Amino acid sequence: MNQLEVRNLTFEYAIGGRQVLRDIGFDLTAGDFLTVCGSTGSGKTTLLRCLKRELIPAGKLTGSVLIDGIPVSEMKPSESAAAVGFVMQDPEQQIVTDKVWHELAFGLENLGTAPDLIRRKVAEMAAYFGIESWFEKATDELSGGQKQLLSLAAVCLMDPKILILDEPTAQLDPVAAADFLGIVSRLNREMGITVIAAEHRLEQVLPYSSKLLVIEDGRTAAFGGVQEVIGTILEKSDLMRTMPAGVRLFHEFDRGISTVSAPDTSDVTGSADASSAVRIPLTVPECAAWLRKNLTPGRSESENAAPAPGNAASPAIEVSDLWFRYERKGPDILRGTAFSVMEGEIFSILGGNGSGKTTALGCIAGLYKAYAGRINIFGHKLADYRNNSLYHDCLSMMPQDVQTLFLHGTVRQELADARDMLDRIPYDFSPLLDMHPYDLSGGQQQLVALAKVLAPRPRLLLLDEPTKGLDPLMRGRIADVLRALRTDGMTIVIVTHDVEFAAEISDRCAMFFRGEVVSEAVPRRFFAENKFYTTQVSRITRGLLDGCVTYEDAVDILRRKI
Amino acid sequence: MKRFEDHNPIAVFLYFAGVTVPVMFCRDWLLPLLCAAGVMLYGFSSEGPAAGNKLWLIPAAAALLAVINPIFNHNGMTVVLLVNDMPVTLEAAAYGAATGLMLGAVFAWFRYFSEVMTSDRILYVFGAVSPKLALILSMTLRYIPLYSRQAGIVRRAARASGAGRDETVLDHVRTGLRVFSVLVTWGLENGLVTADSMVARGYGGARRTRYAIYSWRKRDYLLLAAVLILTGAAVTAVAADWVGMDFYPYIAVREMTPLTAAAYTLYAILAALPAAVNLAERVSWHRRIGS
Repeated sequence: MNQLEVRNLTFEYAIGGRQVLRDIGFDLTAGDFLTVCGSTGSGKTTLLRCLKRELIPAGKLTGSVLIDGIPVSEMKPSESAAAVGFVMQDPEQQIVTDKVWHELAFGLENLGTAPDLIRRKVAEMAAYFGIESWFEKATDELSGGQKQLLSLAAVCLMDPKILILDEPTAQLDPVAAADFLGIVSRLNREMGITVIAAEHRLEQVLPYSSKLLVIEDGRTAAFGGVQEVIGTILEKSDLMRTMPAGVRLFHEFDRGISTVSAPDTSDVTGSADASSAVRIPLTVPECAAWLRKNLTPGRSESENAAPAPGNAASPAIEVSDLWFRYERKGPDILRGTAFSVMEGEIFSILGGNGSGKTTALGCIAGLYKAYAGRINIFGHKLADYRNNSLYHDCLSMMPQDVQTLFLHGTVRQELADARDMLDRIPYDFSPLLDMHPYDLSGGQQQLVALAKVLAPRPRLLLLDEPTKGLDPLMRGRIADVLRALRTDGMTIVIVTHDVEFAAEISDRCAMFFRGEVVSEAVPRRFFAENKFYTTQVSRITRGLLDGCVTYEDAVDILRRKI
Repeated sequence: MKRFEDHNPIAVFLYFAGVTVPVMFCRDWLLPLLCAAGVMLYGFSSEGPAAGNKLWLIPAAAALLAVINPIFNHNGMTVVLLVNDMPVTLEAAAYGAATGLMLGAVFAWFRYFSEVMTSDRILYVFGAVSPKLALILSMTLRYIPLYSRQAGIVRRAARASGAGRDETVLDHVRTGLRVFSVLVTWGLENGLVTADSMVARGYGGARRTRYAIYSWRKRDYLLLAAVLILTGAAVTAVAADWVGMDFYPYIAVREMTPLTAAAYTLYAILAALPAAVNLAERVSWHRRIGS
């Protein structure tokens, strides 16, 4: 029997009157792991919310959602709260209480569970999640990954049959995201909890998934087992762009291999049988095995074009031997950091949480004062920029949480000072102008914030996690904007966890570890040398193709080789 | 075996009230002395020589008030000397010393109170009154650091995006208002997420229960019983005026009767209780484990 049945689900928001979901239908049996994908604004979040009685948005809902045969709207409140667990995207705001142990107990307290039973359950779940060592900590002291783990554990304590995750790793760094998805998969396999997850990082979540639902514009574009769904969407190029690089490579070249040549993408005929006969590789080892099988044997080719950046540009930023700590007696956050950024280049800084990336950016922006070392901006000492002259015509920074920049009621007012900069951004803001900044999607907020920080006409732009929580389409937009700005001669420094983005856009990348730059190179070399902080393509092609970092690199090289 | 501060917070909280309140409402020399001795024993038993950092205040306060009180207070019959035709009396000095001792001792107890009673212990004590109140306090404690951190982020964001000038006082005010305004919008918008997260986990449904990491074991009940009995005795003794003395016009120490002796003894036990509990813990460790 199906555990969850969704039939002809149609939803229209009370405000706006647009149908966000149209005629969605699917079934899940207990123990399924369903990944829901689709671009921003396709209705993923609305769909997930419609599955949880307490979170159904205000509007008109037709069709039915049945859990174990009972309509969600007819479930008893306590039953529904417990049966369906929901974890949201924002690690900060979904935590309610001040202590970890209290957050864990919160749901059970609400259900009126006896304290002794709560004690037992909390103890067991804390041990399962490895929370014991920070059980008595304040929730405020946790890292983003720990916060999401805590939210997950708090929901699991209520014994959910179904776990709904709305982009739970969007705000996390790659390592924390992998940990989180790993434990979700364990819950799925070991406890038999049905999982429904909306995710952008398909390369990480697809290997765990048993089913895939693709939503396009509020409709079901495809639903079924992961292999068969990917098979059916292989020909839709716009959906294909959201797939992991390995799947895209397979799609691009597998037919080519079987029919010996014809890398022409408009060839439709061979796809159906190819997808039904061949298993589509999802994990890195699977992709690598596929590639190894299909590459003509021979030595790994050194394809390094080595685009030597030996230009005569003068440095925009010179940082030398920088030491910083937040408190006199605290630990050093920056420990002799040194690097320089040339004028007109895009420089990306990568590294784990707490490695000092954001702090270094804050020091360059003059927000924090280092206690030793020096920073030169365009050849002048940072201290020589007096009376905020640094922030006029020189440097501008976009913070991680771009909502902190918005202070007006409409986008039009937000961008009032930036009007003449808008033509430099290849994006049409006109439909957004009369909306409240908080009502925009995450990607639109990023773009408005970007326009806003460009208002003082900076020559140097500092960006902190500009692609956080964005889907591949929006990331492409941001990349286009940054390239256009670079063409205009702007210098851009990016702090990011997003290795794929950094690989695609940077002129040079640097790796931070414990407050020091431990490596620094052009992306091809940089990512080829890294093991974990590297792109999926680099992992797949490791030892098979040299200097292959982005999907485009791989396509280029494979076109010639296969 | 637990250290004193690891016992159930309700018992510990009542202890701090019980050891300080009677002393504050009684004019006496012996009671403050016992109180000061108690906090000294506790201090040294729990943190060793480092306790000196908190405890030096007790003799200092006693000495200071012994000097200052006679300058302003000229009651008392025993004139020691005349300054500018104003009598400096022995009684005023003694009263100052006793009051200083009391203030110093109570203050030292308060410092240990604020160290021992961390936010979650306080929360537990007040949450015992109502689970709703406990939740509100807990959420408040969560929001204070969250908002203060966010305020810093907003301020820096404004500065580094060229929007915050801080050249004049007016600029500072303007930036402050801006930070506040952004913070309010941010708080209202993101509060919705918190609300969703609460409703999704069944908030507002059935009657809430309360889970706490503190429990009641035999030792906690024993401590609570001891605190209640000894505090009751001390309060009764003070209220019935069995203990106490007069400083003016003469220093008149009352004669020790069996009743007052018993009252002082019980209070002495109360004051020494934390040190005794800590000592028992240490003895148990050494006897079983060795050094």
